[in-house]
Amino acid sequence: MARSVLIVDDHAHFRRTASRALERDGWTIAGEAVDGAGALRAARALEPDVVLLDVGLPGMSGLEVARCLRDGMPQLAVVVISTHDSADYHELAVANGARGFLAKAELTGAVLDALLAG
Amino acid sequence: MAVRMRMEQAVARAVAGATDASDAYTRALCAIAQGVEWPFAAAWEPDVVDPDKLRCVAIWAADEEGPGAFARTTWATALRRGEGLPGQVWQSGRTIWIADAATDERLPRRPAAADAGMHAAVAFPVRSERGLVGVVEVFGATPREPDAELVAALEVVGVQLGQLVERRRADDSRHASEQRYRATLQAALDCVVTMDHRGRVIEFNPAAERTFGYSSEAAVGREMAELIVPPKLRESHRGGLARLLAGGAPRLLDRRFEIEAMRSDGTLFPVELAITRIDVPGAPVFTGYLRDITERRWAEAELRASRVRIVEAGDAARRRIERDLHDGAQQQLVSVAISLRAARARLLEQPAAASELLDEAITDLAQGLEELRELARGIHPAVLMEGGLGPALRGLVRRSPVPAQLASVPAERLPEAVEVAAYFVVSEALTNVARHAPAATLVKIDVARRDGRLVVKVRDDAGGGADPAGGGLRGLADRIAALEGSLEVHSPGGGGTTIHAEIPCAS
Repeated sequence: MARSVLIVDDHAHFRRTASRALERDGWTIAGEAVDGAGALRAARALEPDVVLLDVGLPGMSGLEVARCLRDGMPQLAVVVISTHDSADYHELAVANGARGFLAKAELTGAVLDALLAG
Repeated sequence: MAVRMRMEQAVARAVAGATDASDAYTRALCAIAQGVEWPFAAAWEPDVVDPDKLRCVAIWAADEEGPGAFARTTWATALRRGEGLPGQVWQSGRTIWIADAATDERLPRRPAAADAGMHAAVAFPVRSERGLVGVVEVFGATPREPDAELVAALEVVGVQLGQLVERRRADDSRHASEQRYRATLQAALDCVVTMDHRGRVIEFNPAAERTFGYSSEAAVGREMAELIVPPKLRESHRGGLARLLAGGAPRLLDRRFEIEAMRSDGTLFPVELAITRIDVPGAPVFTGYLRDITERRWAEAELRASRVRIVEAGDAARRRIERDLHDGAQQQLVSVAISLRAARARLLEQPAAASELLDEAITDLAQGLEELRELARGIHPAVLMEGGLGPALRGLVRRSPVPAQLASVPAERLPEAVEVAAYFVVSEALTNVARHAPAATLVKIDVARRDGRLVVKVRDDAGGGADPAGGGLRGLADRIAALEGSLEVHSPGGGGTTIHAEIPCAS
């Protein structure tokens, strides 16, 4: 079962909330990144099991980052997250190489486990 | 026959020297009366206002002393058709001779005639192509029986006089019309430039002088193309004129179009132009009516630009609101949701941890609410709608990071658009000070009504050098221009910045 996660989001407040929520649920926080380039570097350096990847990153978009990760690190599980509604993004996320999509407000360790298991 | 010839020649000579129709009449009356050696003659015409009455239009008297009173009576008399001597001629169309008017009871002016020593009287029609146009009467100092030769002579003179007077009258009316045309031309706001068939300027009015920078003397006689048509258009102008003169169909006559013209210094400017062919005998003459539309073009361009800016500003504002919501309240609410989910999962087994998570959620919710309030205020300040400028501006002053003072503000409510514009002037000014001049120690705000306008002044004591074309100020200027007001920014380096807005506000 995947246990280490890289959180990629340009909002510090969300990174902090998400880290604490997942840690409380038994996850290890491998690291955090605030934009696409940082995410690619951190993914290679830290080799997490999962990347939680925000769609609306400054510069390179989250979906572009997802494609790069799929091409460069196909074994890595990428979960695209957003404050927007999931129905809009699920298909896009999968088409760009992600394992799935999660609305930020629904994030818990259990929900993430379920998505990765599914 | 001799009498007739003499009188015709005398009348023709007299009328030839006349300055206008009235003078022609007087001279003719003199020639007629002197021809028969009678002391008084008068001409009558239908009244201009009431054409059913004859009125005296000219009098000649040999001696001012004698017929003076009779002349006054004659001037004052109006005669209907058939009434008095002239009225009878007007009705019958024939010459009437009365041997002694002083004894004829039918004549309204008989007493005056008797007093003035007027006796023999003859009246004859004045005729032109239009028919009977007037009546001339002549009075003699002694009674006299009708003289057939004299009557025949006077009737011919009546026809001669009719033609002469009509011609004079046409000249007068032509002259008056020309005078009116001149006056119109002089006062016209549009340039009026007339050229002959060779393309030479024959008329250049004062508006044209002002617009093109040539005096009328300098312009008249020059080729118009060379004078005011830009070089690149000259050949087509000359070609068009040649085509038209050769019988080609006019392409530009009698319609309005916009084109470039050239001033005396060679600079080009846009004009609105209409060309008319003037209907005169002989070679054609063309008149162009031109209006400098530089300012109108500029105003149109400015209007278009400001519309674009208003639309762009609206789009930018929506993007900013979306961004602010996304970065602020939305993130806080996401955290609240995550904390609440985590708390629910621990509620039974780890109540202490759940309680801690609920506290986090409450803190995040409070922050989210504050961000929403701030955002809502930026979109449209609710307090402004509810309480007017005073409370809204005091709120801005309270929240301003740079110390600010509200020196004056009208207590009464103003039109909503005026209040909103004034509020944003102050709000933008305070934001700018906080952002670009944090060294300011005091921002002073004055809002007052003056002469139907709301005057808003915001002064800071920082270094100055603000950019009046900066995005926020430009948007404000557009907003105020839409209310027909004005916004000025004075920001001399080292002298602080003053934003001065004036917005019309009908009471």
